[in-house]
Amino acid sequence: MNSAIGKLYPSTKFCFILLVIIASIFTPGHWFQYAMFPLFAVLSLFSGTFVKYLKAYLSSILLIVVLIFAVQVFIVRYDDTTPIWAFIGFSQTGLTASLGITSRIAAICAAIMWFFQVTSTKDMVYAMERANFPKKMTFVIISTIQMVPQMSALSATILDAQRSRGIETEGSLMTRMKAFVPMLGPLVLSLIQQTEERALALQSRAFLFKARKTSLYQIDKRPVDTVIQIVCLAAFVAYVVWMVIA
Amino acid sequence: MTSISLKHVSYRYPLDTNNVIDDMSFDIEQGRTYALIGANDSGKTTVCNIIRGFIPRFYRGDLTGSVEIDGKPVTDFDDAQLTTMIGYSFQNPFTQMSGVKDNVREEIAYALENLGVPRDEMIERVDAMIELLHLEALADKNPFELSGGQKQRVALAAVLVTDPGIVILDEPTSQLDPKGTEDIFDIVELLKSQGKTVILVEHKIDLIARYCDQVLLLDGGRLVMNGPVHEVLTDPAVLDHGGQLPQVARYYLERNRRFGRHDPIPLTVEEAAAQERKGR
Repeated sequence: MNSAIGKLYPSTKFCFILLVIIASIFTPGHWFQYAMFPLFAVLSLFSGTFVKYLKAYLSSILLIVVLIFAVQVFIVRYDDTTPIWAFIGFSQTGLTASLGITSRIAAICAAIMWFFQVTSTKDMVYAMERANFPKKMTFVIISTIQMVPQMSALSATILDAQRSRGIETEGSLMTRMKAFVPMLGPLVLSLIQQTEERALALQSRAFLFKARKTSLYQIDKRPVDTVIQIVCLAAFVAYVVWMVIA
Repeated sequence: MTSISLKHVSYRYPLDTNNVIDDMSFDIEQGRTYALIGANDSGKTTVCNIIRGFIPRFYRGDLTGSVEIDGKPVTDFDDAQLTTMIGYSFQNPFTQMSGVKDNVREEIAYALENLGVPRDEMIERVDAMIELLHLEALADKNPFELSGGQKQRVALAAVLVTDPGIVILDEPTSQLDPKGTEDIFDIVELLKSQGKTVILVEHKIDLIARYCDQVLLLDGGRLVMNGPVHEVLTDPAVLDHGGQLPQVARYYLERNRRFGRHDPIPLTVEEAAAQERKGR
């Protein structure tokens, strides 16, 4: 987040990926879309998140894309499917369809994944609040992310407590499944009880007050943000004109 | 000048058949420190919730009688007004963290943000609160990485930053070690010196004897004793209603009973020492 890209205002980065996503969906063919992954890989290099980006992308999106590709080309039956072996066949129509679907998935996921890696949740929520998004919505987003480690710690404590009461939590799949219920019950009940207390604590801090929320934390839009947003807008208009003419 | 007034207040939670609070009446005067004591389920937290306006706003149920703050029904105040008038600190330090701030400074500022306080003023008030409660070393830490006592101090700072005239502390030390407890009661002493009205729900009777002006004893949803701390906490009848007496008071009461003495009953070790010195 300390790179030049990381310091851009969240809505600036969002404008950029929105442009990419729209162009990826509506541009015919698949080469433009497949080119988005290397583009964002290069951008992640400049934002200092290259390794993280590659790891996340290749371990998730690549698998999904390859799976969809294989299913569309070799398993789904089209009129021109040529059988190869058993249920496996090859279809040119399937190939064209899968290139279209997988290229768009790859492009959209590349953009979104990059965005979340170069934009901290805090910055994102700040920008959403400045843009008058509902307070409850921004609260849900940020509290969900912040609370995950706390909930993990709580479930670990409950697991230890149940182990100390003689419940087996390690071993075969059946043993672990049996341990699931005695762990889930206290966890859910604890969360419900904590939710009530937290709701009261929030209410005692004027959470429901309908004033425009101010913020101690502040990030400012810089001239470069304005320039990039204008360029994105201009590119979008040019793209629409080009699509209409073409 | 009366700050809070409850008159013939009764309350029953939704789906409950019995009243949790039954025909309770008392006045809270401005600038004094009150202790609410009693056994578990005697209705202490419910009384606090009623004063703060959580009942009936958050918890529905059946509330009868009148609850007034500075002469106005508590239901006439909106959320923002109640936040700035009454600070409320809960028992569990963990659930008092908002869950949306990654450092103590912003955690303290959270209520001010919700109230729309301008940023410059917010910075000033947060810095002042950090200095007042000696939280400088914690200011940039994640609230969830703090100890229980530290979290409770941060929670109190987050409540006090709105400068409420009334502060309700619901068992603030129940999950704290002795050092954490001492820190919290130092804050109670500070609030007293600032002339704030403090309502403290506590089981640590020895500390109540030291810091509070008045004691209200609840038993089964009823107010059974209400008086100056020295009057209530030297009365053996407290024990019949699920309450406790300070150790020093119990010692002197037992000594008087066994040896037929009629010595005054001190509440604290210091009072006892002074009494003994005078006696010699």
